[in-house]
Order: sequence, then structure tokens, then C-alpha cells
Amino acid sequence: MLTVQNLNVFYGSLQALHDVSLEVREGEFVTLIGSNGAGKTTLLRTISGLLAPASGEITFRGERLNGLSTHDICERGLIQVPEGRELFPRMSVVDNLDIGAYPPPARRQRLQSREEVFRLLPRLEERRNQDAGTLSGGEQQMLAIGRALMARPSLLMLDEPSLGLAPILVKHIMEILQELNRQGLTILLVSQEVRLALSLADRAYVLENGRIIRSGTGRELLADTGIVSAYLGL
Amino acid sequence: MLYELVQSTVSGLLIGAAFAVLSVGFSLTWGVTQVLNIAHAAFALLAAYLGYFASSYFQVDPVLVLVVIVPLFFVLGVGIHQVLIKITAQRAHDLALSSMILTFGLAVVMENVMQVLWTPDPRVLKTSYTGKAIFVGPIAIATTHLISFVLAMLTIALLYVFVHHTLTGKAVRAVWQNPTGAALSGVNMGRVTNITYGIAVATAGIGGVVMSLIYTFDPSTDMVWLVYIFLVVILGGVGSVLGALLAGLIIGLTVGISGVFIPLVWVNLVLFLALILLLLLRPSGLLQR
Ligand SMILES: Nc1ncnc2c1ncn2[C@@H]1O[C@H](COP(=O)(O)OP(=O)(O)OP(=O)(O)O)[C@@H](O)[C@H]1O
Ligand SMILES: [Mg+2]
Repeated sequence: MLTVQNLNVFYGSLQALHDVSLEVREGEFVTLIGSNGAGKTTLLRTISGLLAPASGEITFRGERLNGLSTHDICERGLIQVPEGRELFPRMSVVDNLDIGAYPPPARRQRLQSREEVFRLLPRLEERRNQDAGTLSGGEQQMLAIGRALMARPSLLMLDEPSLGLAPILVKHIMEILQELNRQGLTILLVSQEVRLALSLADRAYVLENGRIIRSGTGRELLADTGIVSAYLGL
Repeated sequence: MLYELVQSTVSGLLIGAAFAVLSVGFSLTWGVTQVLNIAHAAFALLAAYLGYFASSYFQVDPVLVLVVIVPLFFVLGVGIHQVLIKITAQRAHDLALSSMILTFGLAVVMENVMQVLWTPDPRVLKTSYTGKAIFVGPIAIATTHLISFVLAMLTIALLYVFVHHTLTGKAVRAVWQNPTGAALSGVNMGRVTNITYGIAVATAGIGGVVMSLIYTFDPSTDMVWLVYIFLVVILGGVGSVLGALLAGLIIGLTVGISGVFIPLVWVNLVLFLALILLLLLRPSGLLQR
């Protein structure tokens, strides 16, 4: 569904990604782990068209994405829940969700999508008229996920959705992702909750210093004591 | 004295709405793209001259000329964004500063063109209702003030509905609050900024016609209007439609009421002092949440 081939990305003269290749197949739950500064966010921002790669190819459902602008990529159903949530702080929960339905294919189903998001994340409905900036950290993360779902994605990428949240909320968010995947949504999850994220994953990749250093099924990587001990302290 | 106070309160409020509509577009482009469009007031002045030209040569009411001015200025706004701002954004390191210099240059060019076309003489708009007034008890309300007030309030109301209750309008606010978040939500940034500039310059056109119903103007009046604009936007908070309205009314009242106690020429001095005090005490704006 999503293929990344030999991607090289630079910040000025600093190379952040080296020949990165990965693949996400339809219906899969794929996890990407790696320590701070490994290049995970850089990879997701490049896939979404916020950064231009120096070389390499990104294809989604057989179509080349290189050179497309971010809104074109969103329109094709490839949506990201970004690191740090990137909400609209002085807009209500409902308005934040509405913006999520901006891509034309999602626009007509806005009300139906909102119903579905509220069913999945009832906390958002309770806060529907509250400004996003006044929500708690957990609620903001729910809103970021809800906003992404409003676009009716076929592949959802999430960049550390559980960062800074209490363990019970982390678990709750992971359960939501698992449920969405069960309903047919393809997921690419970046997470430092290594054990939990690997246990949910069909397949996983390890990114280190801008290079993919390992890949395998979630179970294989979990069984690898080297990996679990290397990343558990994070 | 009491009579004068009431009279000037009323006319101050009417003038204040004109200040608001003159300023609100400047506030929008500032909020959405961090660009201070110094030429905003020059566009307003151009609209004032177009209204004057149509009414003095073709006896068309300047308010009716808005039917042409609004779409024309929308297109001009899109053009400004496409040609000046976008190219500057790609090349410049400090967009706020370089766009300010660039639009200042544009304002100077426009002032000179208007001077060539319409001479440096001050102009007074003459309409069929100039000099007429409506009386509410002993209080006289000039018909020109009343019409400018209705036009200004209508524009502000429409803009408020657009920004708060339409998807495109919400996207405008989203881009201004978090460009990255907006892009990742699938908002077409180029289209939304084009629309923002189109609307901003179109409201400048309305603002210019509305101001010309109240004040005389000459080819350098835009710099005076720019002071009003800065006052309104800083007082009301960047990017806020309601803030611009409230700030416009407050400044209109200040102009109206201080005119009772001090000579008219000092009123602008009062406004400048207010601006300096404001920047010292509440640089983020009085009405900002
Ligand atoms: N805007 C930028 N300009 C220059 N260098 C950057 C920029 N953003 C990231 N980098 C560098 O690129 C490398 C990868 O950063 P990235 O944010 O992709 O890492 P990450 O894996 O997401 O880390 P974290 O787990 O801390 O979020 C880091 O060395 C970082 O310092
Ligand atoms: Mg990151």
C-alpha cells in the first residue's frame, strides 16, 4: 500500500535519513521504533510532503507521491497524527474536527464521520464546544486522532501519540488503534512504548541514526532481548 | 455640553464602525501570513477615488460602485499574494520585514499614480444625500454617516459569519493558528491564503468608500488611515473580526468625545499617545484572550 524506497533526506548539509526503505501493506499494523533523534519524525514528515527528499521514491497505492503537496497527499487518504498534535488551540473541538474533514472526498461525509469519531472517543463529545487549547493532554491527543479520522484515511500514520501520557491513557490509546486496525484501517505507528507497540504490530522496523537497522514481525522483535533492552529504558 | 457629548458619542460610534471595516482585512492578512500589508490603506484610498470618480463623472452613487470595486479588489488581492508575497516568501529570510518594505513601496507607487490621475487637491464626496440628516430627538445623524455605518456593520457581520461558520473560513483561522496542523489536515494552503488576501483587499475597498463618505481625502491620506488601522488591530488583537469591531468603536468614540474637549487637530495626538501606551502596557492587544 505504502512503499518507501532508498529515501535520503537532508536538513541543510546534515543527512537525517540514509537509504531508508520500508513497506506497509493493506490492513497491516506496522510499528516503527528508534531512539530520540533517529529520524522517525523526519520520515513521517517526508511521507506527508512537508519535507522534500534529496532522492528516493515514495509510492502509495501504486502512485508516486514525490513532489505532491501535503493537501494532495491527504486527499489520497494518507493521513498523519503529528508529533506534538498540532491542534488549533483557539478553536473548539468541533471546529478542529471539521477542519479534519477538509479534503474534498471527506467533506460530504463530515457529519457522519463526526458521529463515528464521537462514538469511538466519547470524551470529545462531552467537550465539543471547548477550545482545544484548554483540553488536558490526553484529550488533546484524542482530538488529534479524531481530527485525522475525519479525513476518512485508508492509512493512518501516528507519531508518538502516547508521549507524556499516564500509563492508563497510553493503554487506552493503543486499544483504540487496535480497534481501528481491526475495522480495516492500515496503521503505521511511531512509538517509544516499545513493548506495547511491538505486541500490537504485525510487522516492525527499527530506525537508528537515520538507517533502518532491523525489521521483522512484532513477535520476532519482541523476542529479541537486545532490542527490548536497548529501547525499554527510553 | 451634555448635548454635545451625546451628539459626539453617536457620531463617534458611527465613525468607529468605518475604522473597523477599514482595518479588519489588514488584521486578517497579518494573522494568516505574518505579512504587514502597508499598501492596505492605499487600496482603500484607491476605492475612495474610484467612488469619487464614478459619482462626479457619471453621477453614480459611490456605494453602488462597490458592485465593481469588491470583485475587482478581490482579484487584486489574489494578485498581490501570488506576485508579491509568494515570491518574497520564497526568497526572503524575514518575511514580515521584507514584505513590509515591499508593500510600503507599492503604497508609494499607488499614491503617485493617484496624484497624477486626480491631482493633490483634497476631494469631498458629493452624493444626493450629502448634507442631509436624520433627527433622533435633538440629535442629528448625518445620512452619509448612517449609510457608512450600515455598510460597515454589514461587511463585518458577513465576514464574521464567513470566518466562524463556513469551512473555508474555519480553514483561514486554522492556517493562522497552526500552519503545520492545517497542512496535515489537508487544507490547501495556497488556496486559503489567496482567498484571505482577496477578502482582505476587497474589505479595504469597502473601507475606503465608507471612509470617503465621512472624511475628505487626498493622495497621501492613506498614511493617516494606516495609523487608525494599526490602532484598531493592535487594540483588537491580530486576526480577530470581533476584536477589530470593538476596537474600531472604542477608537471612534475616543475621536468623537475628545473632539468635544480639545481642538480637532489634537485628536490624532491623543490617538498616537494611546497607541504608545497600549504598546507599553498590553502589546498583545487589549481584547485578546
Ligand atoms: N528542522 C530541523 N533542522 C535541522 N535538523 C533537524 C530538524 N529536525 C530534526 N533535525 C535533526 O534530524 C535528526 C532526526 O530528527 P527527528 O525529529 O526525525 O528524530 P525522531 O526520531 O523523531 O526523534 P524523537 O524521538 O526525539 O522525536 C535529529 O538529529 C535532529 O536533530
Ligand atoms: Mg520525533
